[in-house]
Amino acid sequence: MTRRTTGRRSIPVLVLIAATMSACTTGSAPRMVGTGDVVYDRQRLMKIQAAQWNEMQAKFKSGDIKGIAANAEVEAVTSMQIPSLFPEGSLGPQSKAKPEIWERWGEFEATAKNMTIWSERLRDASKANDEKAVADIMKDYGRVTCGSCHTPFRQPQTQR
Amino acid sequence: MTTVLLAILLLLGSATGARATEQDQLARGKYIFGATGGCGCHTEPKGVVNAGGRKYDGPFGTVYSSNITPDAKTGIGSWTDEQIITAIRLGRRPNGERILPVHPFTSFNGMAEDDLTALVKFLRSVPPVNKPTPPKKITIPMFESVFLPAWLITFASKETPPPAAPVSGVARGEYLVRAVGHCGECHTPRSAMTMAVDNSRFLAGNAKKTGPEGQATPNLTPDKGTGLDWNEEQIVTYLQTGNRPDGDVAGGLMGEVIQGTAAGYKDMTKADLQAIARFLKSIPAVKNKIE
Repeated sequence: MTRRTTGRRSIPVLVLIAATMSACTTGSAPRMVGTGDVVYDRQRLMKIQAAQWNEMQAKFKSGDIKGIAANAEVEAVTSMQIPSLFPEGSLGPQSKAKPEIWERWGEFEATAKNMTIWSERLRDASKANDEKAVADIMKDYGRVTCGSCHTPFRQPQTQR
Repeated sequence: MTTVLLAILLLLGSATGARATEQDQLARGKYIFGATGGCGCHTEPKGVVNAGGRKYDGPFGTVYSSNITPDAKTGIGSWTDEQIITAIRLGRRPNGERILPVHPFTSFNGMAEDDLTALVKFLRSVPPVNKPTPPKKITIPMFESVFLPAWLITFASKETPPPAAPVSGVARGEYLVRAVGHCGECHTPRSAMTMAVDNSRFLAGNAKKTGPEGQATPNLTPDKGTGLDWNEEQIVTYLQTGNRPDGDVAGGLMGEVIQGTAAGYKDMTKADLQAIARFLKSIPAVKNKIE
């Protein structure tokens, strides 16, 4: 009797586990929280990243090497979310994304991962107050992180 | 004995001098290569430098960029320097065949002889790659025999080469923008009907319909409201790093030419980038809002 009750109770649990596993194994990457408008969400994230990059450049120019770490950390964390903000085919009039993203998904994911790696390196160099290492990374950071994704996967900006 | 020693020293000295000149010319050639944007049309994304094969669709059909490595069979290895220069600036192969103006020879015609000679030297220095260029597929009958020559005569105005490349100031900037960097090819409006470049609106941008690879390009004239409102330092930073003043970073074809292949815009000297910025600030403002 007790065994049967336990068996019945375990069915919804098993269904829940199966559903969770199915959600984890299908599709590209699980969605993070957001407004439901994925194009808006990712453009918002990119604007945050652009603002961080601007601030990092300003700090670098003013000699605030240690101050860069906080911005680099934001870049690292936000870059991890990029793939989840590009569910397959999420284009639209507001989006500048190119369909090549889903044709070359592995490469796209790799560019996001690369941004995380570079941002973490920059954060660590900044924390260590290593001016030379920070300068070396800053010199190429924009092109290697943002640019290497914008070049193949985003339509050009036309507004100056 | 002294005479013999002197002769040996002189010979050694001249050989070292020749090597230095050779190295200088190679370096100059690589610099010019970078200032063209790294001849990126001849390199497939993540492909071998200069090996060609990049696909270009146009209203006339499909063409593939040529292999310009020094491979004797499939590249330019068997061409003379003069033949390579003719192809670059006049769009003619050694066999007389016309190169379609997807290759910006009307702009490159404005390059100085010394720069072209150095560029050829550099092109010969990259590793040869045996890779045949895929055949073009022209869909318009008599395109190459009738339409193209007529189009070239009617619409294609060529840049004029200077006796020597200007070395500084706005003149240097103009030379780099017009001839070497061939900025007008993408940034000067084209007619949707004829695809002819409208030089009366030099660098005023292109809409998607007429832009390169179906992409819009911004208005670079100093027009308030529709043109480039960055200061000279911001222009220099952008060309050197891809970083825009708003924190965004260049992408698309502009990202490609800044990055380049073996070299790109990013490798130009600050003085040259400043000359470009100064020239861009000096051109007439043209109102042309690009959506």
